[in-house]
Amino acid sequence: MTLAALDEPIAAGTTFLAPDQKSEAILKLLTCGSVDDGKSTLIGRLLWDAAGVTDDQRAAILHDSHNRAVNGERIDFSLLLDGLVAEREQGITIDIAWRYFETARRRFVIIDSPGHEQYTRNMATGASHADLAILLVDARHGVKRQTRRHAAICNLVGIKKVILAVNKMDQIDWSESRYRAIEADFQALAGNFDFAEITTIPVAALTGANVVARSAEMAWHTGPTLLEYLEAVDPKVEAEDAPFRMPVQLVLRAAGDFRGYAGSVTSGAINVGDRVVDARSGLGATLQRIATMDGDRLTATKGDAVTLVLDTDLDISRGAVLSEIKRRPVNADVIEARLVWLSEKSFDPEAGYLLRTATDLTPVTSMSVSALVDFETLASAPAHDCAVNDIADCRILLGRATALDLFRDLPLTGNFVLVSAIDGATVAGGVITWAQTGAAAIGDNVLVLDRARLAGLCGDLGDSPADLAEFERRAQEVAILLRSAGVPVLIETDQ
Amino acid sequence: MTALTSHLKLLEAESIHIFREAAAQFRNPVLLYSIGKDSTVLLHLARKAFWPAKPPFPLLHVDTTWKFHDMIAFRDRTVKELGLDLIVHTNHDGLARGMNPFDHPPSVYTDVMKTQALRQALDTGGFDAAFGGARRDEEASRAKERVFSFRAAGHTWDPRLQRPEMWQLLNGRLGKGETVRAFPLSNWTEADVWRYIMLEKLEVVPLYFAAERPVVERGGQLLLVDDERMRLEPGEVPQRRRVRFRTLGCYPLTAAIESDATDLDAVVQETLSARVSERAGRLIDHDQAGAMEMKKREGYF
Repeated sequence: MTLAALDEPIAAGTTFLAPDQKSEAILKLLTCGSVDDGKSTLIGRLLWDAAGVTDDQRAAILHDSHNRAVNGERIDFSLLLDGLVAEREQGITIDIAWRYFETARRRFVIIDSPGHEQYTRNMATGASHADLAILLVDARHGVKRQTRRHAAICNLVGIKKVILAVNKMDQIDWSESRYRAIEADFQALAGNFDFAEITTIPVAALTGANVVARSAEMAWHTGPTLLEYLEAVDPKVEAEDAPFRMPVQLVLRAAGDFRGYAGSVTSGAINVGDRVVDARSGLGATLQRIATMDGDRLTATKGDAVTLVLDTDLDISRGAVLSEIKRRPVNADVIEARLVWLSEKSFDPEAGYLLRTATDLTPVTSMSVSALVDFETLASAPAHDCAVNDIADCRILLGRATALDLFRDLPLTGNFVLVSAIDGATVAGGVITWAQTGAAAIGDNVLVLDRARLAGLCGDLGDSPADLAEFERRAQEVAILLRSAGVPVLIETDQ
Repeated sequence: MTALTSHLKLLEAESIHIFREAAAQFRNPVLLYSIGKDSTVLLHLARKAFWPAKPPFPLLHVDTTWKFHDMIAFRDRTVKELGLDLIVHTNHDGLARGMNPFDHPPSVYTDVMKTQALRQALDTGGFDAAFGGARRDEEASRAKERVFSFRAAGHTWDPRLQRPEMWQLLNGRLGKGETVRAFPLSNWTEADVWRYIMLEKLEVVPLYFAAERPVVERGGQLLLVDDERMRLEPGEVPQRRRVRFRTLGCYPLTAAIESDATDLDAVVQETLSARVSERAGRLIDHDQAGAMEMKKREGYF
């Protein structure tokens, strides 16, 4: 069977029950809010009512609900989500949980993230995978500090569509005026962000009102129920004619002199016969084949995992970004970025860090924090430190240039994680807001690692592509060591 | 293009991306091949990820010696047909101590013959990463898994110390003594696996299809009498029933279900309308509360 055959409609008469959606095949949905807002209950209710719960799970939930007096004799829907023993014991959500369900219209992935401020990093992690976010607020309390924080994180990681679910409407006697006031508060707050679409829905997760079934008590709500909206929304926001990018994951070699660049297209499209360029070297080639196990293809578009064969050998390796000729990435060695700090170890200007972009891993020469986002005012305040759960603006000098885009233009080649050079931990996740080439001017105190300086360590290496790659690897390792000893380093790989 | 196929294409592309990231970032990966439907899909995706080259890693099967006979035959045929390297590992120390699923509680047996055996095999091979077919929809603690799941020295998993994963970026840089379990099927569901097997016309172990088989009913579960090692309790007489398996493990610990689904089409239909979750047929998961989480903490994949 070929991939092309995956395109063929399923023959009538088969029993292939499948969601019948028109737009995006999978909707990835983030839910955020604290345990007090009834977030787990809302998702549990959605799963329960939209038939995403199997009979044995149903029986287990009914059984467990009696063992926990949280909701008296009511069904405790949150038990559907809190999977870890520690979470069940404490009645809170610590880590992200992934849930999958389908309705007749669409396939859903629910990314359930913890609400507590101490787990902001987990929320940011979950949010980065979502197309759309449900921000939950308690109708009795309205928009709070944590709502602002959640909105700021959703905005940071690139979510463009949000739903404000005003929960516990039953607790305020289904009051439309109270609901409208919260809606207005949120609209004002959202003005700070780049959201493309904001929808508010009044719900009562415990009773199910406006989750799947329309609420008789809130006849004044003429908009969609939560499920109606989720089944209809188109999560796509990007332009049709986005520039082509494919970060190279691997160079594949096989019998018959086969040499191809394997990777996933992160934006745009490419056709056989098109010119492509390696942004780092500026070298161009013509696309000869798009090879897959299911046969060659004529075109590859965003999301496709393919192997590209070029007419001339560009001598590129993992970390290169193949691009169209006209609109190229920046080959940058200095960037400004906004990031969320994920590690319990605070930012340390003396520590060794590596920048992991789409497929590249680049040593950081130096890094400085310039500002922190205040969750109360959402304004940036000057700062030099940053610790776990902080959102910070920073400037990063790289040990060598790498191909990048701005996150707001092309998210998948404009995002990164910061990695500890010592233990490999992912310490921060960020988005590139500015990038430039050559701006990391070589100052008096920057040590340049080039072939001459590393002659003793790299005397065994020649000029073959493999040797140049090995030189770069060794130079990076040396840079990491020097950096961790406080020496600013720049790697010079040009032969 | 139908809606369904586009959703499977997205999942396929994501899995290929994960395979390639792992192959690029880890020094010595291995694919945990357990012969079941998830392994079948996993192996197929691995072939696609590196085509026209072969997957740049061997397969590893942890053989408890209590796998169904049909499974072993299927394994050997698959490996031969595709020309792949297969490592079979058994915990011989456990065997020597007489470990078996009848005399020992499922949790003890599984720990020795599966979890410990897996750790032995990974240590022996010096593997820094192992691909597994686990899916987040299988069970509550798996719903919290990362795609690259880091294990400390000794292969232990601490759900509170999981490495954050943001966007499509997978960070495989290892700390001292760390290894990784990589899960390319993280976002697949049981129904997706079957739909994909059907669309890609993949061959699976015949035990997934209904047939007349000798079974005994015990504690509400149907257990297959796969060979003479099956111990019958007083009064138990094997009867022929029309059964199949939703999930395949060690034979006395994996229950069959009554079914008339004799082909893929019927299996998909049955799966999509199922009202009982898949791992309900795995007796080891019911041993104690949070059973899977405990097994994972100890190094079960």
